Amino acid sequence: MASYLVRRLIGVIPVLFMVSLMVFALTQLAPGDPVSMLVSDEASPEDRQKIVEAWGLDRPAPVQYLSFLKNAVLGDFGSSFRYREPVMDLVLARLPASIELAVYATLLAVIIGIPLGVLSAARPNSLLDNAGSLVGFFGVSMPNFWFGILLILVFAGVFNVLPSGGREPWGMDLPSITGFLTIDALIQGRFDVLWTALRHLALPAIVLGTSMTGIIMQLTRATVAEALREDYVMTARAKGLSERLVLWRHAFRNALVAVVTIIGLEFGALISGAIIVETVFSWPGIGMLLIQSITFRDYPLIVGLVLIYTTLFVLVNVAIDILYTIIDPRIRMK
Amino acid sequence: MSNSRILMGAAVAALLAAAPPAQAEEMTRERIAVGITETIAGYNPYADAVVLIGSLWCKVYGCITRFDFEEGRMVPSLAESMEAVGERVWEVKLRSDWVRHNGDPVVAEDVVHSIERSRSDPDSMRQFVVVSIESAEAVDERTVRITTKEPDATLPDNLSLLPITSKRLYDEYGQAADRNHPHGAGPYRLVEVSVGNHMILERVDDHPMVSPTNPRQIMYRIMAEPEQRVTALSNGEIQIAQGVPPQLVARVDGLPNAHAAFANSVEMMFLAMNPSTHPWDVKEARQAAAHAINREAIVAALLGGRATLLDGPVGEGQFGYEPGYTTPYNYDPERGRALLEEAGLSGVEIDFYTPVGRYTADRQIAEAMVPMLEDVGFKVNLRTPEWATLWADVQAGGVPFYYMGRGQMLDPSRALRQYFETDSSPRLDYSNPEVDRLLQAERRTFDVDERLDTMREAMRLITEDAPAHFLWLHQMAWGVADGIDFTPRPADRVDGWDIHIRKN
Repeated sequence: MASYLVRRLIGVIPVLFMVSLMVFALTQLAPGDPVSMLVSDEASPEDRQKIVEAWGLDRPAPVQYLSFLKNAVLGDFGSSFRYREPVMDLVLARLPASIELAVYATLLAVIIGIPLGVLSAARPNSLLDNAGSLVGFFGVSMPNFWFGILLILVFAGVFNVLPSGGREPWGMDLPSITGFLTIDALIQGRFDVLWTALRHLALPAIVLGTSMTGIIMQLTRATVAEALREDYVMTARAKGLSERLVLWRHAFRNALVAVVTIIGLEFGALISGAIIVETVFSWPGIGMLLIQSITFRDYPLIVGLVLIYTTLFVLVNVAIDILYTIIDPRIRMK
Repeated sequence: MSNSRILMGAAVAALLAAAPPAQAEEMTRERIAVGITETIAGYNPYADAVVLIGSLWCKVYGCITRFDFEEGRMVPSLAESMEAVGERVWEVKLRSDWVRHNGDPVVAEDVVHSIERSRSDPDSMRQFVVVSIESAEAVDERTVRITTKEPDATLPDNLSLLPITSKRLYDEYGQAADRNHPHGAGPYRLVEVSVGNHMILERVDDHPMVSPTNPRQIMYRIMAEPEQRVTALSNGEIQIAQGVPPQLVARVDGLPNAHAAFANSVEMMFLAMNPSTHPWDVKEARQAAAHAINREAIVAALLGGRATLLDGPVGEGQFGYEPGYTTPYNYDPERGRALLEEAGLSGVEIDFYTPVGRYTADRQIAEAMVPMLEDVGFKVNLRTPEWATLWADVQAGGVPFYYMGRGQMLDPSRALRQYFETDSSPRLDYSNPEVDRLLQAERRTFDVDERLDTMREAMRLITEDAPAHFLWLHQMAWGVADGIDFTPRPADRVDGWDIHIRKN
C-alpha cells in the first residue's frame, strides 16, 4: 500500500508540470493583460511600464515560466497581482471554506442519492422509481446559476428563513482552529455558531449537491439493477435471505465500487464546480477567488489556483483508490 | 493669484457647521452593512485603483481635499487650506483638529511621505495622482509646499485621491504598518479587511466630521450578484445596496422595508469614433453616427428612464457643466443619411465594439444602436469581446468605434486630456490644436471662473467636432433600508458621514 501511494504521488508531479505549462501558456495566449485591468484608467504609459517591469511581465514568456516553476517547486507560487499577497496564503485562507461546502454538498447528495437509487432499482417502474428519475433529471439538468438565484429569492427573499449568502454573519466571534467553521464550532461547544454556520451552508450546499444527487442516484440505480440480475443474488434469495439483506448487503455492496468512484470524481468536480455557486452566494472560497483572478488576468493566482485544484483532484482520487480496498478486500494495491 | 484660493476658510467653516455637535447627543450604537460590487485588494491604501475603495481609504486616513457635492467643488478635508502661492507652487496648511487614531498628529512630513509613496511604492496604483508634482517639502510642522512640473489647477482634485499615511509608522514598520498599524486621521478607523470579501470601518466618535447619527460600524461587503444584494436588503442582511440594475428597481421599491434612491453617476457614456481610422477620419461620418442615435428611445426602453442625457462630456453637478448649452447632434436620421451621402460613404462597413456586462444594459444598448446606425447608411458589424480583451485593445488604440464609459469625472480635466488632447493616449487618437490649446490653458488657470470658461469652450469644440458622441450619465440606483437616511452621491461614494440612522 505504502509503495503504491508513493508511486501515485510521484505520478502527480508530471501531471502538475503539464497542467502548469498549459495554464501558463493559455494565460499568455489569452487576449487582455493584467496591467490594463488593474492599473488606474488614468495611469500614464510610464507608470504602466514601471508596473510591467515590477511584475516581470517584460521578460520573455519562457523565462517567466521557468522562474515561476523554480519557485513553485519550493511551494512559492508568487504573489497575486491584484491582492499583493502570496498566492499560497490567499489559497490556504480560503480553501477550508470551499472544502467544507463541497463536503456538505456531497453528504447531501449521498444521503439522498444512494437510498433513492437503491430503492428505485429494487422497484423498477414504480412510483418511487419514477420520482427518483425525476429527481435525477432535475439534478443533472438544473443550471447552478439559475437554481442558486431561485433559492435565494424563495428562501432568503420570500420566506426569509435562510441567509442569502456569505459564510457567517457579521460579528460571529469564533476562534479558528481547523478553518472548518462547523468543526470549529463543535470543538468549542458553540452550538449557536454551528446552527448559524449550517444555515449559511444550506442553500449553496443544496445547489451544489443537487446535480451530484442526480448523478449518484442514476448511477446507483443502474449498477444496483445490474447487480440484482447476477447469479449470486439469485443464490442469496434461494438461501432465504430477506429482500432487504439481498438488496443492501449483496447487490448494493457489489455496486458500491462504481458508486464510490463517481462520488470521488464528483467531489473533485464539486470543488472546482463551486466557482459559480460561490460567486452567486458570495461564498468566500477559492472558486470566487478564481473568478476574480481570471477577470483581472491575475496570472500567478490563476496558475496557482488551477494547480491547487489539480492537486486536490488527484488526492481525492488516491483516497478513492484506498477506499476500494476497504469496500472490496479482493482489491489489492499493486 | 488672489483668486487662486481653491479651498477657502469659508468652506472649513461650512464643514464644521455641517458636523453636528458630536457630544451633545448620544452616539448611536447601530451598525450597518453595505452590499458593494467591487473587490477589495488589501491593506495598502495606494494599491487599489477602484473608485469606491479609494474613497474608503480617504475615510480612514484622510485626504487633503474632498469634493463637496453641495458646493460642486473641492473643499479642504485634512487640509485647513490649499493655496496657489506661485504659478507652480502650492501651499497646503494642515488642520490641527484631525489627529491619528493612535493620537499622533498629522504632520507635513506625512504629506511629503504620502506623495513619495504614491509615486514609488511598487504596489501603488495611484501614481497618476502625483504625476504633475515635481517636489514636495515640509516648511514647518503643518505646512507643505508642493511644486508642480507645470502650472496645474487640477492639483486639489488630484489630492482628493491621496490618503495621507504616517511617515513615522512607515519608517518603523514598513509596509506592515498598513496591516498592523492603520492609524489614519479620518472619521472612520479600519477594523478589518478580508481580502476579496469585506472591509469593516468604525466611527471615531470625537472626530469633527462625524455626527451622533452616523453608524457606529460599517461593513462593506462584496456581493457580486444583484439579485443577492436586493434579497439581502429585503431580509435585513444589508442596509444599503449598491448598483441596483433597472430591472430590479421596481422590486426594491415594492419592498416593505426599503426603497430605491438615485444619483447621477459622473461617468460619461459615449460613442468613441477614432479619427485616425476610416470612416471616422471624415467628420461627416462622425456627425452622421451622432445624428443616428435615438438616445431618448434607448433611455426610455432599456434604461427605464434612469439616465440623464448629455449635451457634452459633463452633466449637472460636475465641474464645467454649461446649463444653456445643447448638443448639435439631436436624433435626426434624415440629416445623418444626408451627411453620409454627402461624404460618399453610404453603405460603408464599420465594426462596432461594446463591452458585455460592464455597464448597465451595455449589450442591449449596442444592439439597439445597430439598426439606428444602419438606418442612416452604415453597414454595422457588432463585436462583443470579453471586457479584458476589449479594454486592453482600447488602451492600445486598436478599436475604431466603441461604446464606453469614463468615470472619475467630478472635475473632467484629466479625462478630457486623456481622450481629446494630442498624444495623451492612443485610445481615441484625436488631435485638434485648438482643443489642445484650450485644455492646456484650463489646467494653467487658477481663477475658477476663468478656468470654467476655458473648459467649457474646449468641451463645446470637442462636442461639435464629434470624435465622440456624448450619450448620457446613468442614474445609479441604490437600495436603502427604511431606517436609514442616505442620499447617494455621484461617483460611487458611500461615506459614513452621509449615512444617518433614523431614530424611531
